[in-house]
Amino acid sequence: MNILEKLSAPDMISPGISACVGCNVELTLRTVMRIVGENSVLAIPPGCMGGVGVVGWDKLSGARVPVFFPLLTNTASMLSGLRLAYDRQGKTDTHVVAFAGDGASVDAGFQALSGAAERNDRILYVCYDNEGYMNTGYQRSAATPKGAWTSTTPHGKLQVKKDTPRIMADHRIPYVATCSPAYIADLVAKVEKAKANRDGFSYLHVLTPCVSGWGFPPEQSIEICRASVQTRYFPLYEVDHGQYRITVDVPKPRPLKEYVGRLKKFRQTTDSDLAEMQTLVERQWHELIALERATQDPEMARAG
Amino acid sequence: MRSEYIVPIGPDGIYEIKTGTWRTTDPRIDQDVCIRCGVCLMHCPVGAVKREEGRFTIDLEYCKGCGICAHECPKGAITMEGRLSA
Amino acid sequence: MSHVEVMNGNRAAGIAACLARPDVIAAYPITPQSSVVEFISRMIAEGKLDAKICEVESEHSAMSVLEGASLAGARTFSATSSQGLALMYEPYFRASTLRLPIVMAIANREMISPQTLWASAQDSLSVRDAGWMQFYAEDNQEILDTLLQAFRIAEDSRVLLPINVCYDGFYLSHMSERVVVPDAEEVDAFLPDGYDPEHIVLDPDRPMAVDPLTNGDLLTEYRAKHLAAQQAALQVIEEVDAAFSNAFGRSWDGAVEPYRIDEGCQAIVVTLGSMTGAGREAVDRLRDDGEAVGLLKIRAVRPFPAREVREQLAGVPAVGVVDRNVSFGWNTGIIYQEVSSALYGVQGTARIPIISGLGGEDITVEMFEDALRKILVAGRLSSERRDETPETIWLRQEKEGGAA
Repeated sequence: MNILEKLSAPDMISPGISACVGCNVELTLRTVMRIVGENSVLAIPPGCMGGVGVVGWDKLSGARVPVFFPLLTNTASMLSGLRLAYDRQGKTDTHVVAFAGDGASVDAGFQALSGAAERNDRILYVCYDNEGYMNTGYQRSAATPKGAWTSTTPHGKLQVKKDTPRIMADHRIPYVATCSPAYIADLVAKVEKAKANRDGFSYLHVLTPCVSGWGFPPEQSIEICRASVQTRYFPLYEVDHGQYRITVDVPKPRPLKEYVGRLKKFRQTTDSDLAEMQTLVERQWHELIALERATQDPEMARAG
Repeated sequence: MRSEYIVPIGPDGIYEIKTGTWRTTDPRIDQDVCIRCGVCLMHCPVGAVKREEGRFTIDLEYCKGCGICAHECPKGAITMEGRLSA
Repeated sequence: MSHVEVMNGNRAAGIAACLARPDVIAAYPITPQSSVVEFISRMIAEGKLDAKICEVESEHSAMSVLEGASLAGARTFSATSSQGLALMYEPYFRASTLRLPIVMAIANREMISPQTLWASAQDSLSVRDAGWMQFYAEDNQEILDTLLQAFRIAEDSRVLLPINVCYDGFYLSHMSERVVVPDAEEVDAFLPDGYDPEHIVLDPDRPMAVDPLTNGDLLTEYRAKHLAAQQAALQVIEEVDAAFSNAFGRSWDGAVEPYRIDEGCQAIVVTLGSMTGAGREAVDRLRDDGEAVGLLKIRAVRPFPAREVREQLAGVPAVGVVDRNVSFGWNTGIIYQEVSSALYGVQGTARIPIISGLGGEDITVEMFEDALRKILVAGRLSSERRDETPETIWLRQEKEGGAA
C-alpha cells in the first residue's frame, strides 16, 4: 500500500472538532488513528484534543473507537491497567493508545509515563508537543523552550526544554521516535512500527507547532514544521531496540533564525539568546550522531 | 430525566461541529494543473481532501479554510477563493 | 471445608482478596499495609492465584491502573493507608463517580504531620465524601468476611460502587488472631459471577465515549443516581450479610451491631473498629456493677445507617461517641457529627464527643469504663441540660508524673 492509500483509511475521529484553523495536532491525531485503526482504545487527557470535542459531550462521542478522558496525571497508568485486563481477556491485538499533550506527558503526567515505561507495559503513547498548555491559555510546560513567550513566562522562559524523547529512550523501551507533520511518510512509518511492536512500550513524540499559541499564519503550519526539522531544532530520529537512527538527515541545516524568526513567541529573543539556542541545537545534533554510532556498531561501543 | 445512563458515557452517536461554517475562503483545485502528488491530502488537518481513482477533490463540509493545501501544493493548483457572505 | 489459621489482619485481607478471584491487582507498599501486597505477589508468583498484578510506582498510579482495568471489565483489588490514600485521592474520587466496583482494603493510619505510622481512622474518614462505601472491621475474621461480602455488594446492579474495608493499623494489621478461612469452593458459590459491566466499559466491540465533557444538568442527574445507589446499598448490605450467614455460618449484623442495648439502657458508647472489643469488656464490667449501659458498634460509615443509629440511640439519656480521629473546625471527632446528624430533632439524649487513641494510642478497657461513667453522669442531668452542647472529652491514658 502506498502512503496515499494508507492515509485514505477510515478516519476514526469525528469530522467536526473545534481545533484551531490549521492545527497540527488535529492533523497528527487523524493520521495516527487512521493507521492504528478500529481495534483500539484511545486515551485523551485534558488538553487541546479533549477540549475540542474528541472525547465528546454529554451522551455523544468524538471518536469511532472507544475513547476516554484519563486525568492529566495518569494517562499511562490507566493504559497499563487496560493492557493488563485486555491481555487477560485474550484481546492481545487491541491497541491501547494515548494521545497526550506535552503537559500531560512531561509535567503532571510524567511519573505515570515513566512508571509505565519502566514496567515496559505494551502501550502506544503519542505525545503531541505544542510546547506548553495551549488549550488553557498558553501556559509554560517543561517542554517550552528557553526564551519562548508563554502566558506564565511573558519575558521568555528561563529554563531549557526538557528532552523527553531522550529520557524515554533511556528507559530502554523497545521503540521511541520523534515525528513531524511536515514529514507524513516518516510519521506513518513510525506509527506502523509502534503498532507492530509486541515487545513493550512505544513512545512517539511529535512536535506540533501551535497557530494560536506560537503565533503564525495557519496556512504556514506545515512550513513551520519543515523549518523545525531543517534547522535541526527538532531532529527526526528513532530508537529501535536501543539503536539510534536519524530518519530524516539534515546535512546542511538552515540557520535557526529561519524557524525562530517566524514565530511571535520568540519576538523578544535577542541575538545572544539566539546564539545560545543555536549552540544547544548543534550539541543535540552531535549527541545524536554519536549515539547513532555507539548503538549501531556493538564492536565500536565495546572498544570505547 | 435526560439520561437513561447512571454514569457519564457517550454511546449515542458522534459529536460533531459544523466547522465548514468557519470558512471565509474556499479551496479550489484546478484539475488541469494538479499532478496528483497527494501533498494536499497528506496535510489537510480535517481530512477534507479525498482521493478517488487517483483524482483529488475537496469536501467542503468540514473545511475550515486554513489554506495549508493551497500553500503546500507544489504546482499552485489550489487557490483559496473569497466568497460572498451569505 | 473451611479451616482455622492464626493470622494477622493483613494476611486475612490478602487471603480474602485471593479467594475473590480478582483479575487485576495494583498496590503500592505502605506501612502498615505492605504485607498485603507481599502476600498477594507471592501467591501469584507461586501460581496459587491466577491474576495480573501491576508493580506500580505510586498509589496514584495504583488507583489509576485499577480504573483502567475495571473499565475493561476486570474485577480489581487494592490496599493502602494514610499518605497513600491521600496521594490517590484524585483518581479515588472518580472510581465512585464512574461507578467502578473496585474493592480496596485500608489499614487505618494517622495522617502526617506529625510523623507517624500508627493507627487512627483519620485517613479513611477524611475521604468519606468521595462516594465510596466504607466498612470498618473489628477483628481479623471480620476483615476477611467483609472483604468477601464487599465484592458481592459492589458488583450488585443496584449498587455498582467501590468499597473500602478499613481496619486499624497495627492493632489488626499486625496482630495475630484465630481466623476461619473458607475454602475456595464455598467462596465461588458465594461469588458465582465474574464482573461483566453493562453500565460502563471500554470495548472495541461496543465503542463509546467514557466520561465526555458533561453539562451541569446531566451531571446533577448522575449525582442523584449515585446518592440513590448509596441508599439502595443499605438494603443490599443486610441482604448480603444474611446470605453470608447462610453460606458460612457467621453474621456481622449488617450496618450496625448493638451490644447489651435494652429498654432500660441509661448510657451507650458508640465505637468504630478494633476499639469495640475493649468497649464491650467495659460494658460487661459496668453491667456487673449494676449499671445499665450498652455499646453500639458502627460497621458501615458509608452509606451512613442513619435510621438504624437513630433507632438504637433515640430515647437513651446519654450517648458518647469514641472517635479515633478529629474533625478540625468542629472540636469533636467525625463519627460524633455523623451520629449527631442521625439524632437530629431527638430531645433528651445527651451526646458526648470523646476523642481517644490518636496516633495509635491504646484505648484500654479502663478508659472505656471511665468514658461510660462520664456518659452516665451526663444522662442524669435535667432534660434541658442534656440538650446543651457538651464539652469534648479527650480520653487519655494516665501518664506517670502528670496529668494526661
